[in-house]
Amino acid sequence: MIELVNVTKKYRVGIHEILALDNINLKIEDEEFVAVMGPSGSGKSTLLYLIGCLDRPTNGKVLIDGLDTSTLSDKELTELRRNKIGFIFQQYYLIPTLTALENVELPMVFKNTSKTKMKKKAEELLALVGLEDKKDRKPNELSGGEQQRVAIARALANDPSILLCDEPTGNLDTKSGEVVMNIIKELNMNKGVTVVLVTHNQSLSKYANRVIKLRDGRIVYAD
Amino acid sequence: MLIELAIRNLARNRVRSVLAIIGIIIGVMAISSIGIFSESLKAVVLENFKDVANEVVITPAYTHGWMSIDKRTVEKIKSIPYATVVIPIKSESEIVEYEDKKTFITIYGIEEKDVRELFKLKKGYYRDCIAGGSISEFFKLKVGDKITIRDKEFRIGGILIKEARFDINPNFAVILPIKDFDKLFDKEYSIVIVKLESMDRIEDFKKSVDKTINRREKRVSVFEIRTIIEAIEKAFRNITLFLMAIAGVSLLVAGVSILNIMLMSTIERTREIGLMRAIGAYKNTILRLFLIEALVLGIVGSIIGGLLGFLGGYAIDMLILKTAKYVFQPASIVYVFIGLFFGILTALISALYPAWKASKLEPIDALRYE
Repeated sequence: MIELVNVTKKYRVGIHEILALDNINLKIEDEEFVAVMGPSGSGKSTLLYLIGCLDRPTNGKVLIDGLDTSTLSDKELTELRRNKIGFIFQQYYLIPTLTALENVELPMVFKNTSKTKMKKKAEELLALVGLEDKKDRKPNELSGGEQQRVAIARALANDPSILLCDEPTGNLDTKSGEVVMNIIKELNMNKGVTVVLVTHNQSLSKYANRVIKLRDGRIVYAD
Repeated sequence: MLIELAIRNLARNRVRSVLAIIGIIIGVMAISSIGIFSESLKAVVLENFKDVANEVVITPAYTHGWMSIDKRTVEKIKSIPYATVVIPIKSESEIVEYEDKKTFITIYGIEEKDVRELFKLKKGYYRDCIAGGSISEFFKLKVGDKITIRDKEFRIGGILIKEARFDINPNFAVILPIKDFDKLFDKEYSIVIVKLESMDRIEDFKKSVDKTINRREKRVSVFEIRTIIEAIEKAFRNITLFLMAIAGVSLLVAGVSILNIMLMSTIERTREIGLMRAIGAYKNTILRLFLIEALVLGIVGSIIGGLLGFLGGYAIDMLILKTAKYVFQPASIVYVFIGLFFGILTALISALYPAWKASKLEPIDALRYE
């Protein structure tokens, strides 16, 4: 379960202070599929990064499975991300020097998984996203949709319980976007992965069980 | 996998990596080849001294008013256990004539067996009057010729090769057997050359001299040839150090270039670093990744530089010293390893700051970096 209690996040940009999130209270149950929507600058990405332990709130608490992340050290946060959270970004962020297979292996490398186990798992995951025949290609030899599918496989490498998606279809055409979204939806339905999806694309709300709308750092709508 | 990743990162910008490696190669090569050459040069110079390292020279204590060493003192020196060979030498300066030429030179009085011990002959035998190399050239002497000292004629029995010595200078001198010397001059010994059983005995020997001869008053001074060798070694050490410093500058430049490319690399790869942190890489892992990259540059550059430095040292030795036998002595070879060590160390030190900077990036800032 993900829980945000009175979360406020302020940024300093030059001399200006920007209030990205303003006193947010939110609970996301296990196996939920939540879409966080809102115009750019509404704070939705900030919310996602706070849940993903990539950033710390200025005030308030973020709890992951009841664990208050504000009390954790950098090392502990890293381990939490590695073991419980998978990220999917709009720009895929694949390592250009590594093949598809190696990119999927990378989170397992950081977890010191054995080589054979790592390879087997990565191949399974690439098969899951339908890229078993392109495992030896470098990212620049793959289409956008394929790259995002590799990124999904990578996000699943350490069997996370939470999948955080930041505009996963933002750089994709409609058809590839649909393929990617279907994979994410299936993971949620069949494997019980909690999904938090951040997007400003209204059409993606149909995949979610719940939609949260943000504006100026506040929740303006939650069904 | 981190090593693999590091190598691929380096391959990503091949030209840049190669340039950095070339910097290290030049630095390591300079250190190893200069080191090999200066060690070889030192060895060549010191080889001339290897026979005299265990030698001490005893002179009268001039500063205490002593002008010569008497027979009793020589006997006392002979009785000191560490002395294996004791050569007492008398000397005087006098005009020597041959045919229509004459010159004022040193006449030594040395026992025949001791002449054998001290000098090498170019011609003739260790017999009668022995002439030094330079004086023989001056007079155009042959074995069997006769020179005149104080109206007495002496037959030349042998001619010495020219050599540089630290104790006495035989080149512009003639050597007479003590009995002939005593016929001309009434003098005591002016110098005693002592060879010890080993160099380590020098201190013991000096102590014995102080106890037996200089007990009541300082009659003789002991001078070690070793001091000269040490002075030469020290001079070479300083020269080597100076040359190393110059070679070090080239390594420093290489270090700065590695620092530069690593910094550029951290900036270019900021988002990658953010991604790796997001999917579970510790700060430490990022630090290690960058250090490994530098280490790869350092190791590759150092090994190539070390090999080239060895070949370079070999070539310089052949060119200047005309021999390669000192290239393989441990004191020379060690410079290849010194070069390797500093090459790798330079790469590592240069990468410390960029690696630290990369590891300190907050994942969120790194991911958002444009």
